[in-house]
Amino acid sequence: MIVTENKPWEEVKLALDNYMANKIVIVSCGVCAAKVGTGGTEGAKKMEAQLIDNGFSVLTTVVVDEPCDDRMVKQAFRKIKDEVEKSDVIISLACGLGTQAMNTVLREKFPKKVALTALNTVFMGETERFGVYKEACRACGECILNETGGVCPITHCAKSMLNGPCGGSVDGKCEVGDYTRSCGWVEIYDALQSIDRLDLFLKVREPRNWSESGHQRELNLR
Amino acid sequence: MTEVKTYSNLMKEIQSGRFVLTGELEPERTANIEPTVNEAIELRKYCIAANITDNPKSTVCLSSLAGSYLTQEKSGLEIVYQLTCRDQNRMGLGAAILGAASLGLKNILALTGDHNACGDMPASKPVFDYDSTHLIQLVREMADKRSIEGLPLDEDCPNIEIHVGGAANPNASPMEPEIMHIQRKAMAGVEFLQTQVVYDIEIAEPFLKEIREKTGVPVLLGIFPMSGYGVAKGFDELVPGVSVPKDLLAKFKAVKKGGLGKKEKKEAYRKLNVDFYVPMLKELKKKNLVAGCHIMAVHYPKIFPPLMEALDLQPRE
Repeated sequence: MIVTENKPWEEVKLALDNYMANKIVIVSCGVCAAKVGTGGTEGAKKMEAQLIDNGFSVLTTVVVDEPCDDRMVKQAFRKIKDEVEKSDVIISLACGLGTQAMNTVLREKFPKKVALTALNTVFMGETERFGVYKEACRACGECILNETGGVCPITHCAKSMLNGPCGGSVDGKCEVGDYTRSCGWVEIYDALQSIDRLDLFLKVREPRNWSESGHQRELNLR
Repeated sequence: MTEVKTYSNLMKEIQSGRFVLTGELEPERTANIEPTVNEAIELRKYCIAANITDNPKSTVCLSSLAGSYLTQEKSGLEIVYQLTCRDQNRMGLGAAILGAASLGLKNILALTGDHNACGDMPASKPVFDYDSTHLIQLVREMADKRSIEGLPLDEDCPNIEIHVGGAANPNASPMEPEIMHIQRKAMAGVEFLQTQVVYDIEIAEPFLKEIREKTGVPVLLGIFPMSGYGVAKGFDELVPGVSVPKDLLAKFKAVKKGGLGKKEKKEAYRKLNVDFYVPMLKELKKKNLVAGCHIMAVHYPKIFPPLMEALDLQPRE
C-alpha cells in the first residue's frame, strides 16, 4: 500500500493562496489513501469542512477508485466537467501517483487547471493494523527477497547494506532511531536461521546496479 | 598461492610477528591540520601507524584524504586512511583510492560509516552506494587487478600499492551475524581488522577465537585508554553498545574525588589504564589471538610509554 499523511493545513492554505484559489474541487483516492484515512470519503469530508471553515467554496467532491490510473481520472473528470471548468484548483487527496495522474489528465483536457496535493506520500508499506504502517519496499527493481529470508535489506537496513550488519547495531537494534527499530540484518539472520539457510547469509552480494533505477523508469508490456 | 605483496610499514610489522601498535587521530572541524600533525609526531615514537578518521560519528570534519596525506607527509608517521561509504558513491570512492595512491598513502580502513541520522547533519543524503565489503573488494581489485569495477586503469598508472583493512565489532549482539559479516569481508580480501573498543576479555577472547578459526585475518584489538573520569563517564554514557566496566569507572571516580594534586591524579589515571588493559592484552597476545592493539587514545599520547613498558615493548624512537 502507498502510505500518505496529511500536510499541515497551513501548508495547504499557503498553496491555495499562492494560486489565489477560492473555488475548489476535491478529488479523493478510493484505494490506499482511503484505507489510511487521508483520502476516501472520510478524508474528503474532513478536507471539505476545513476548506469551508476557512472561507473557501467547494464546488464538488469526488472519490475516484484508482486515481493513479489515467483512465479512471479521465472518466471522473468527464462526470464533473462543469465543476472542473468553474474551479480555481483541484485539491488531491491521493498519493504522488494519483496527484500526478490528475495533472496529466488536466494538462490534456483542462490545460489551465492544476491539481494541488494536500497529502505527503510517505512510503510503500505493510499494514500492521489500522493506523500502523511500516515501509517495506523501495521498488529498487532488483528484488533479492529470495536470498534474504523474505526481509528486504534495502528497506529494513538504514544503510541499505547488501552485506550487513554494520557495527552500529546494539542488541539487534539499529543505530538510527535510537535503538528502537530492529536491525534489518539481524532480522535477515533470524529469518534464514529459522529455515536452515544461513549459507545464503554468507554470500557476498555485489553492489546494486543503479543504471536502470537511477532515473525515471517506464514499463511497456504491450 | 598468489604472491603476497607488502607495501606498508603496518603490513610489514603485522607480518613480522611483532606486537603491533596503531593509534587514532581525529582532525576536527577546521582547516588547520597542525594539531593533528603534532599529535602524530608524538605518536610516531610509539606506533607503526595511526588512523585518520573520516567524518567520525557522522560529524563534518576536515577531509580524511587531505588529513591523511598532510599528516603522513608532515609527521613522517604512516597513516591508515579511513574511508567510509556514507559520503560518496563508487565513483567517488574509486577516485579517492586513486587519489590516496597518488599521495603515497599505503593503508585504507574500509568502513560503511555511521549513519547521517546519528550525526550533526542529519538532513544530508546518505549515499551508501557501496558497503564496507564492496569497498574492500574495490581496493583489492584496484591493487591486484589494476581496474575499477572492471574498468582498466590507464597504462601510465603506477600500481596501486595500498592495503585494505576492515572493522570488527566484538561487542555485537547477537554475535553470529557479525562473525559471518567478517567472514564475508575476508572473502572480499580484507588484510587486517581493527576492532571496536573492548573492555572485557570474556567478550574479546571467544570473538577473537572465532575470527582466527574462520578467517585467519590478523586482528588489532581496539582499546580506549581514558585520561580522566570525565572521559570515562562520557564514553560510558555516549557510546552505544559499549559500557565501561562499573568497577573501573568507580576507580576513575575515586581518583577524581581523592583530593590528589594534578600530577598525582594524572599518574593515578595512567596506572589505572595500565593495570586494567595490560593483563588482558598480555593474555590475548600469549594465546596468539591478536596481532596487536589499536589504541584509540585520541589526545592522550602520554599513555603509550607506560602501556608499552608494561607490555615489554620498546619505543620506536
